[in-house]
Amino acid sequence: MQESDHLVVRAVVAGDMEAYGALVRAHSETVFRVAFGITGNEADAEEIVQEVFWRGYQNLKNFERRSSFRTWIYRIAVNCALNRVSQPRIRAEFRVGDETDVPEKTVQVAAQDPDPERVLLSNEISAAQEMAMQRLTPTEKSAFVLRHFEDRSMSEIAELLGMAPNAAKQAVFRAVQKLRRELAPLLGGA
Amino acid sequence: MKHLGEQEFLDLYCGEGAKSVNAHLEVCRECSTQYAKFKKGLALIKPAAASKRSVDYGEQVWKALRPGLTPYREKISPRWAWAQWRARALAVACAMLLAVAFFGGRYWERITTKKANLTGNAQATKRVVLVVLTDHLDEAERLLVALEHTESSDKAENAQLQSDARELLASNRLYRDTARNIGDPGVASALDQLEGVLAEVSNGPSLTTADLARVRNEMNIEGILFEIRVLRTRGANQGSVPKPAKGESI
Repeated sequence: MQESDHLVVRAVVAGDMEAYGALVRAHSETVFRVAFGITGNEADAEEIVQEVFWRGYQNLKNFERRSSFRTWIYRIAVNCALNRVSQPRIRAEFRVGDETDVPEKTVQVAAQDPDPERVLLSNEISAAQEMAMQRLTPTEKSAFVLRHFEDRSMSEIAELLGMAPNAAKQAVFRAVQKLRRELAPLLGGA
Repeated sequence: MKHLGEQEFLDLYCGEGAKSVNAHLEVCRECSTQYAKFKKGLALIKPAAASKRSVDYGEQVWKALRPGLTPYREKISPRWAWAQWRARALAVACAMLLAVAFFGGRYWERITTKKANLTGNAQATKRVVLVVLTDHLDEAERLLVALEHTESSDKAENAQLQSDARELLASNRLYRDTARNIGDPGVASALDQLEGVLAEVSNGPSLTTADLARVRNEMNIEGILFEIRVLRTRGANQGSVPKPAKGESI
């Protein structure tokens, strides 16, 4: 995959713009997941995906072939998402969302599920998880999303976040601690 | 026995647990249970449903992105670009130099040709005038010598002298004007003085011995004669064709 990505990058830089479509198709969904995991907002994540691939195309000449394209494009995604989260507008949206969106979502999903009690519990966990995630710092959230949802290694997370491996590990640790503390009542002391 | 903490559980969860930690987990039931709870708790934290996209999501992203992109041009190294620029600049400089040399040469040729023509024409005209003038000067010299030396009171002889002077007077005016027009002040001045003498001799009703003596005294015949001889010599030198040197082909 990495070798084929490099061939495509070479073709794009040589003037074959259409070849870039293959890279976009291959990595769009993962980039969206990372962006959504960090921002918690679907519309923002969609915009970030566009921005990431546009920036990626413009800077493709600077892409160093010793690293993988996937790691390189994820790093751009993490940076874009962190920039978006650091904007005051997004934080304000999070605060508003804490009190308004969660109960509404719980009611809607529960009404469609055949096992109301289990779904209710699941949705409570989801809502609480969402709130707990929003209380994490951007770095902690990014590190947790990459480790837990995207299953990236600690060294890769460190590279993506531009920090030392130990610092990345501590960020994941703090995120896990906070989430377990927040979700402890629902997880039954897990 | 010291039990494992959250940090060790996280290391294990991340696949980075030390061998001793793994060994402890195998023997310690309490830690094993705690780690199982830790993993179960984390497993319940799942990505939101909204993070799932349709199968053709990548295609949608590409369609939205594609119109805003422009193809990369083939990469040209800075050194090659510099070399190309230098070559173009050199070619332009050479072309400009050639053009300047060509038009400058043509301009120069035009100027020098015009000057040469002018000079050549003037010199040729002077030469023609001097050649033609030689005969006139010969006749004038003879007349002046006769004036200088005649003591005769013979009327017929004096009338002939007067008649010759009148003929010479008309042609002398013509030569004097021509010499002045072509810019030869020396010839013009000599002919002017000669004209004065010729006019004095020609204008009287009849030339007497007293008239001749007056002309000789007043008009400096000797001086005019000397100038005319000089002019004749000059005319003979300029009008003659140079002889080829010995052994030179013509």
